[in-house]
Amino acid sequence: MFFHIVLERNMQLHPRFFGRNLRDNLVAKLMKDVEGTCSGRHGFVVAITGIENIGKGLIREGTGYVTFPVKYQCVVFRPFKGEILEAVVTMVNKMGFFAEAGPVQIFVSNHLIPDDMEFQSGDMPNYTTSDGSVKIQKDSEVRLKIIGTRVDATEIFCIGTIKDDFLGVINDPAAA
Amino acid sequence: MSIEPFNRLVKLVARAFYDDFTTKGENQPKSGRSDNRGIVVVVLDALTRRQWVREEDLAKSLSLHSKQLRRTLRFLEEEKLVTRDHRRETAKGAKIYSAAVAATGDGSAKDGEEKIKLHTHSYCCLDYAQIHDVVRYRLHRLKKKLKDELENKNTVQEYICPNCSRRYTALDALRLVSMEDEYFHCESCNGELVAESDKLAAQEAGDGDDNARRRRREKLKDTLQKMEVQLKPLMDQLSRVKDLSTPEFGSLLAWEARAHAAGRGGSGDAGANDGSKSSQGYGGTPMPFLGDTKVEVSFAGLEGKEEDVKSEAATSTPLKVLPPWMIKQGMNLTKEQRGEVGEESKMEGTSTSSQLSDDKKSTVQSDDKKSIQDEYIKAYYAALLKKQQELEESAKKQEQLSDSNIANGHSDTSSSRQVGMKSKRDPEEDVWEEAQYAGNTSESYRVGDLNVQADESGEDDDDVDWEEG
Ligand SMILES: [Zn+2]
Repeated sequence: MFFHIVLERNMQLHPRFFGRNLRDNLVAKLMKDVEGTCSGRHGFVVAITGIENIGKGLIREGTGYVTFPVKYQCVVFRPFKGEILEAVVTMVNKMGFFAEAGPVQIFVSNHLIPDDMEFQSGDMPNYTTSDGSVKIQKDSEVRLKIIGTRVDATEIFCIGTIKDDFLGVINDPAAA
Repeated sequence: MSIEPFNRLVKLVARAFYDDFTTKGENQPKSGRSDNRGIVVVVLDALTRRQWVREEDLAKSLSLHSKQLRRTLRFLEEEKLVTRDHRRETAKGAKIYSAAVAATGDGSAKDGEEKIKLHTHSYCCLDYAQIHDVVRYRLHRLKKKLKDELENKNTVQEYICPNCSRRYTALDALRLVSMEDEYFHCESCNGELVAESDKLAAQEAGDGDDNARRRRREKLKDTLQKMEVQLKPLMDQLSRVKDLSTPEFGSLLAWEARAHAAGRGGSGDAGANDGSKSSQGYGGTPMPFLGDTKVEVSFAGLEGKEEDVKSEAATSTPLKVLPPWMIKQGMNLTKEQRGEVGEESKMEGTSTSSQLSDDKKSTVQSDDKKSIQDEYIKAYYAALLKKQQELEESAKKQEQLSDSNIANGHSDTSSSRQVGMKSKRDPEEDVWEEAQYAGNTSESYRVGDLNVQADESGEDDDDVDWEEG
């Protein structure tokens, strides 16, 4: 699920950036540092959308670095148990398949794949129905439901299922 | 359309899901007396026999404490079986409801005690459409939950290393993939991991943990089977009801308006009180009277003749013949309303007009001289109108002479005029009542005298004089 929230971060800036572009430099560094990271609490930071306020800088003794407290608005993505997501398959093996929904990695184990789909090994390992009409392989797009999340301080990993109504392959690039 | 299959559904649901519901909290001791399990069944059954019902009345007819009933109804509202409505109302508002009840033929609610203060009254009603949906959803969830558990759906797959017995879950999958083959590998000994359920199938008599799991599986399967069997009547009823149109009572206000309209449309024939007919009236075909007719209907014959006349003149319904005793000087009436169109139309008019005139008519009919009555009455009313005018004049005079009149009054004989003057002396009696006295005396002296005597006897010491007449 996406959220638009305000976060705060202390930015350390090298003295060489002090000048008329200080603010721009600060924001550029913030984007570089923050976008794409993941915190267990808020999820993945997708994009910074604005700066709320930049506090007074504090000069560090000895180094000359200055620390600015920055409040910024950003879009975060945090997966939840029970959420339905659309994801792209990245890897298929005998144990199931891995997929990505943006920054999130999801594993679907083979017992959560419909029973009528069989694993086929080869150069392009895949799960296929007996009549061959539905195939899950690398780059297939699937709709899945998250049934469990593992949230670490800097990482979120999910497991999902496609064994339920309206879940499964939604677009097969190989067939197109 | 019939309501019966839906009522049966409600009864089945009550017995299937709510027969062990109790309003008592968990921590309170359950003595034999305070145990009110089954209350939901009683309440729901009672509601299948009613439409909108005031909760006080329901409590009274079920001999339940209103608090207890309210708690039960609140629970049923949360369960989406019952809709409730609350409003602050005067005795008048309660009367509107009572009139609606009378119109639907549900005699359980009597005209409540008159209250001048505003009270919050709660009403409740079964919501059949919602019940249908809620029950189907409930069954669906029940089945799905059991089946999901049975098929290990939504459970996190576990893996075990056959070499060192280290356990992993699917959440560790990212760390366990190997680049060489398509299996997961143990982090410590690089052994090929086995999915837990496969192991379960392979290994016949495992450790205690596995045994417990198998027992649980058995139990789930058993529960699912039992559910299929025990809820079969309910499911059958659901499929029977599926294609029927659901009975709708609408909101309390809409229901009242419709009930009035239905009651009015069928007034005069006893069939209006028949259950089948009233349910037919709710079948969704909109009645011509809705909403704004409420004022007109509810007050007809109850109070405020002036208001009645006005609203009746304002509505688009064919003008009615006003009972002549209602006609006063200065009223702006059509010929039809005065009943001067013709004998036939007049008869029609009076038969559909309000209760009071019906009463009047029935007393008239009890008389022997039926044949000449119509003409007689007509002539009589004409005379009556004239007399009213006279009376008003004489009343004015009387006010001036009141002192001497009281002194002389005892010796008077019982002319109809005197009756009028007597009642005129009492400011509380209004004009039509007075006219009735007068009318009775001139119609048939005996009846009239009895009437007068009964009415006047308690009033003052004049009754001796009346008997003489
Ligand atoms: Zn191992």
